[in-house]
Amino acid sequence: MSTLNMDTDTAKDRLGDLWKRSRRTALFVLEDNAAKLGVAILAAFTFLGIFGPELAPYEPIEHTMRTEDGGIMRMSEPNDAAPLGTTTYGKDVLSQFLEGARPTFIVGFFGGIGTGIIGFLVGLVSGYFGGRVDEALMRLTDLTFSLPFLPMALLVLTFVTPSIALITAVIVAFFWKMPARVIRSEVLTVKERTFVKSARASGAGHFRTMFLHVAPNVLGIGFLYTAYAVAWAIAGQASLAFLGFGDPTTTSWGRMLRQVFASGGMREAWWWVFPPAIGIAAVTTAVFLVGRAFEEVVNPELRGDE
Amino acid sequence: MTFRRFLIKRIVIAFLLTLVSVSIIFVTLRALPGTPFSSLVASGGLSGEQVAELEAQYGLNEPIYVQYVKYIQSLLTLNFGYSIAESRPVSAIIYPRLLNTLVLLVPALITTAIVSSIAGLYAGWNRGSAFEQGSIVVTTFFRSTPVFVTGIFLLVIFAYQLGIFPAFGMRSPLDNPQGAIETYFAVDFAKHYFLPFVATVLYYSGDFLLLARNSVIERKGSAFLTLHRAKGLTEREQLARAGRNSMLPLVTYFALRMGMLFQGVITLEVVFAWPGIGRTLVQAINQQDYPTVQAAVFIMALAVIVMNLLADVMYAKIDPTVEEGDL
Repeated sequence: MSTLNMDTDTAKDRLGDLWKRSRRTALFVLEDNAAKLGVAILAAFTFLGIFGPELAPYEPIEHTMRTEDGGIMRMSEPNDAAPLGTTTYGKDVLSQFLEGARPTFIVGFFGGIGTGIIGFLVGLVSGYFGGRVDEALMRLTDLTFSLPFLPMALLVLTFVTPSIALITAVIVAFFWKMPARVIRSEVLTVKERTFVKSARASGAGHFRTMFLHVAPNVLGIGFLYTAYAVAWAIAGQASLAFLGFGDPTTTSWGRMLRQVFASGGMREAWWWVFPPAIGIAAVTTAVFLVGRAFEEVVNPELRGDE
Repeated sequence: MTFRRFLIKRIVIAFLLTLVSVSIIFVTLRALPGTPFSSLVASGGLSGEQVAELEAQYGLNEPIYVQYVKYIQSLLTLNFGYSIAESRPVSAIIYPRLLNTLVLLVPALITTAIVSSIAGLYAGWNRGSAFEQGSIVVTTFFRSTPVFVTGIFLLVIFAYQLGIFPAFGMRSPLDNPQGAIETYFAVDFAKHYFLPFVATVLYYSGDFLLLARNSVIERKGSAFLTLHRAKGLTEREQLARAGRNSMLPLVTYFALRMGMLFQGVITLEVVFAWPGIGRTLVQAINQQDYPTVQAAVFIMALAVIVMNLLADVMYAKIDPTVEEGDL
């Protein structure tokens, strides 16, 4: 890693610059009303993902709600004891919703970041080196593009017991291709620019040029796709759970939808359907609202004649 | 590189990709523990010898490479073997389901491509209008929400709470239509068709709308539009010309979407109990019906590969600024 050595001042300078730039971008993005809403939803979701299970009034699976005469409170509409109603099995919907935020959050967060990092690295290396490296990596991306996510993930999950970590891994394994392609095409244009060539000419190694000169210029797109990947991961996990291939030991929003669908509770129990469905829809939409506002900033062609 | 060489290279790559994908599918399925029949022994339905006999009948006792060669051979001839769960040819199961999926998706995709693209052109032309802002937020919602969640919303509201549309399947349980016309051109079918159709249209609307909008915005300042304005064309005539120049990304995107169609709708078909290929796949996986699973996944993978090839070729053919070597 000796090629990465540089004095602390330059490092500070670079970081400060990066910080200033991202702050400016963030302010730009926040001028958009839809993006503001998105950020608010994501903040709420992060809060629920971390503290949700602690806020749950009851144990979501073990605890059975009872009516006053001691019977099981099945499929009850929202009432004082259960503000969001109960399920067919007499469980508290609110508690399940709060508990279910965490696995949804974990898979979304780690799945998104994993996808972003792997995709970024593959795209960077592929675009920077070109030639055979590029050919090999791009054919690999083509291959993962032709293996459809849901069918293959279902196959994999039939012979291993699904766990949150495994589902996250499967999601990363199938989604890294999207950022990889976009980053690669960005790198292709950046590496032809003069400052990259002069860095090479003044003796910077490939490693240094790639990470210090090319990478910062495609970081924005990298972040954008990492954010999108969070939404894809949440949607992917919810789809798997809905089809019955989720982690059987935890309550997630997707699994709640699975249960309300499979038990036929959907016919009347809207109070059981809406919390997880709105949760998933709100979070994925929020990511895209913020992402789109960000895209508007990083894609200069869209500024048009404003 | 000439166009012909480019085309040949692309086709060879597509063929190799297909070969590798089907091999991966084969290996994945064979790595599953047990055979479809081992559960029958456990439940006491069959003796060990009977299972061995059955496995021989389905060729499961042959060496793995023989199975592999036979598998590739049969795929090349589009012969998918016999379904283990339903003991009839897989093609007899898959093709009608495939047709059902196409009947649902192709009209939905075409509708959304046309309607949302036009809306997108209009939104991009009137940058900053309430229509632009509103349409983006609404379609972003439907595009980012997983399609089965949208389906569930529609189902709960319009089928269960309001009772306007039927919730389940493709036709009423007691109907027994004969022939394609009776099956697909009936009021009953239309009622069952409506909700899944709407869910699909909404799900794919966002991408087309944004693509069309961005494309128009990028062209708005171009010289050729200034010329048209100077010529005295009306706003609408100018938009029509800008729109014609925005077609390229839309057309290629349409091809890509067609390829990914099948995989996107597995959950949708499950929600609406639509007897299509996605739902069949999920059922086959649960029943460990290898041949059906293989066939369904193969069709889905093939669709992606073929449509990707088509999109690449179209892109190279239509856009003169794209060098074939870049793709």
